[in-house]
Amino acid sequence: MPEPVRIERFPYRLLMANIFLDNNILFLLTQIVPLLYIMTAALYGVHFFNELPQAGKLKQPALILTVIAHVADLGVLTSMEGYRLSYSAYNLLSMVALTLTITYMFIELTTKSDKTGFFVITFAAASELFTSFLAMHSSGSGPAFSGIGIGVHLISAIFGFSSIAIAGLYSGLYLVLYRQIRLNRFGLLFQRLPNLEALELLIMHAVAFGFFFLTITLIAGGIEQRSSGGNINLLEPKLVTLVTIWLLYGISLFIRPLFGWDTKHMAVLLIALFVLITLLLFVMSIITPTFH
Amino acid sequence: MNIISVGVNHKTAPIEIRERIALSEVQNKEFITDLVSSGLASEAMVVSTCNRTELYIVPAMSEVNCDYLKEYLISYKEARKEVRPEHFFNRFYCGTARHLFEVSSAIDSLILGEGQILGQVKDAYRIAAEMGTAGILLTRLCHTAFSVAKKVKTKTKLMEGAVSVSYAAVELAQKIFSNLSMKKVLLIGAGETGELAAKHIYAKNARNIVITNRTQSKAEALAEELGTNRVLPFETFKEHLHEFDIIITAVSTKEYVLNEPEMQQSMARRRLKPVIILDLGLPRNVDPEISKLQNMFLKDIDALKHIIDKNLERRRAELPKVNAIIEEELVCFGQWINTLKVRPTIVDLQSKFIEIKEKELERYRYKVSEEELKRMEHLTDRILKKILHHPIKMLKAPIDTADTIPSKVNLVRNIFDLEEPNQSHQ
Repeated sequence: MPEPVRIERFPYRLLMANIFLDNNILFLLTQIVPLLYIMTAALYGVHFFNELPQAGKLKQPALILTVIAHVADLGVLTSMEGYRLSYSAYNLLSMVALTLTITYMFIELTTKSDKTGFFVITFAAASELFTSFLAMHSSGSGPAFSGIGIGVHLISAIFGFSSIAIAGLYSGLYLVLYRQIRLNRFGLLFQRLPNLEALELLIMHAVAFGFFFLTITLIAGGIEQRSSGGNINLLEPKLVTLVTIWLLYGISLFIRPLFGWDTKHMAVLLIALFVLITLLLFVMSIITPTFH
Repeated sequence: MNIISVGVNHKTAPIEIRERIALSEVQNKEFITDLVSSGLASEAMVVSTCNRTELYIVPAMSEVNCDYLKEYLISYKEARKEVRPEHFFNRFYCGTARHLFEVSSAIDSLILGEGQILGQVKDAYRIAAEMGTAGILLTRLCHTAFSVAKKVKTKTKLMEGAVSVSYAAVELAQKIFSNLSMKKVLLIGAGETGELAAKHIYAKNARNIVITNRTQSKAEALAEELGTNRVLPFETFKEHLHEFDIIITAVSTKEYVLNEPEMQQSMARRRLKPVIILDLGLPRNVDPEISKLQNMFLKDIDALKHIIDKNLERRRAELPKVNAIIEEELVCFGQWINTLKVRPTIVDLQSKFIEIKEKELERYRYKVSEEELKRMEHLTDRILKKILHHPIKMLKAPIDTADTIPSKVNLVRNIFDLEEPNQSHQ
């Protein structure tokens, strides 16, 4: 992969400490954002399981507030580097949480269905909390890079992973509801979850978007590598992983018309892919604070 | 001033008694008109459905009590042999109001939360209003009951979820498919159950409904009634099974109408796209082995009853919320009733002051110009309005209980030297 121009040279922890000391707003936002995620997930949970009217009224404003606070947090943080994202695990996971939440917010506002919010926001909250954990323990450098190519590569990778996460989460919900109906268990999940066809549609859209963004990630990465004059190492682990995921997603898009797979089998495959990719991300974030 | 309700319902009497005492619309009109025109009641209304016949009466004389009304209804229906006073319930004053609120909000119904009853109470009120037997008290009572029912419908989930087999079948189909208008439905059997299920699914926008029946003319009649006009011959419908997303069977047969091999073949032809089969027949119409097929959702009556039970359980869980709404409205209604008791005093008070005003103005009628007199009248009106504002507000104060009203009324009457209230005001 390319070796872009590094702007940040200081150890990451030192940088964070200085930023927080010098910037009260950033300090406040960094503390508030994870709490907002937890609060929003809790409101969605209370509304889903107990249908408490107050939670129902508050959850959407809380979701919007969380997104605004998170965008502001990232804005203030990146303003230190001329609004360029740092390619650290910290920022990437935080961006995944944000894009997941924005994607869900878009789904809720357009479909008027808020029944899956608890599951998506809980995952986003978990990502954000893990982000906070990484921020506290990170000792490596978190360089910011310049260049449109690498920016597109990064943003599309984040959206790609968010789509994978949504496809995985909705696949899980699909299988749960499928099982509930088959076994005549007409309880809470049967009542509250969207119908099977709606979940299937959401899964297929998420897979299509995921494949699209992963394709952009690969193309942008390749262009950036060429423009920086570097050679593409086809055996580089990150590249191999990305291409494998891209291929599996691509296959899953065409597996249905070609092999007659039904949504149930697709859902199992998508959950497996989601778990695999999440594990890879977490392992990579622990081994190295940067992805490039 | 009292409101009495007496009647028979599914809680107090078996169906044969309820049938015997029920009033048709014509009888209802005649009955309430007789009660009021004979001077027994000042207001009267009857709610008569298959599960209840209930009288709501404002008596015009003290002899008209619950026992009197029971006997009156029994003799009107000439049912002395079958119906006894023990088959009736009695309610008085706030008890009557609470009962009508419970009836209207469907928590007193045989099937908890069934929505038809509100329409039936509205019909009863319409009849009473048309016949001129609904006065101020019944009108207020009924409108409060409608408001209670509306609040219950919007603020609770008492009326949510299917509680009949055919509705549960449609609810289940909607949990698998998003848009029933895009789905192809096959109805096997054009009997009563099939017809009901077809009508429910049609009401949920399913338009592509194909009907098959052993007697083709019955299938054609139902298809025409639904407006789909699509019928398949019973002998050949199995050749088209793969085309359908929802299959409803409701035929009377000892043999399975659908078997595992033909459905397996059908699933292969439709490339495992999900199918729901709703077996509403008894004995079952569909081979249970079919449920093992991939993406096949086979549900019989027992499975659908699971949905009904869960929905009823959820409805029962809403009862505390409904009771809270009823309690709230009952307090408001009670306060309004109390204001009726102070109304004669308010009228007397206003009359007394108007009389004083007119006497005083009369003394100046020929001493001042007409324009000046008008100004003086306008001024005194404003002064009277301001003087009377507080006493009237105090009399109408909603915090009063029925016990404190007489002392308050007496105090105002003594202070302003009002004559004893006329009986006609009461």
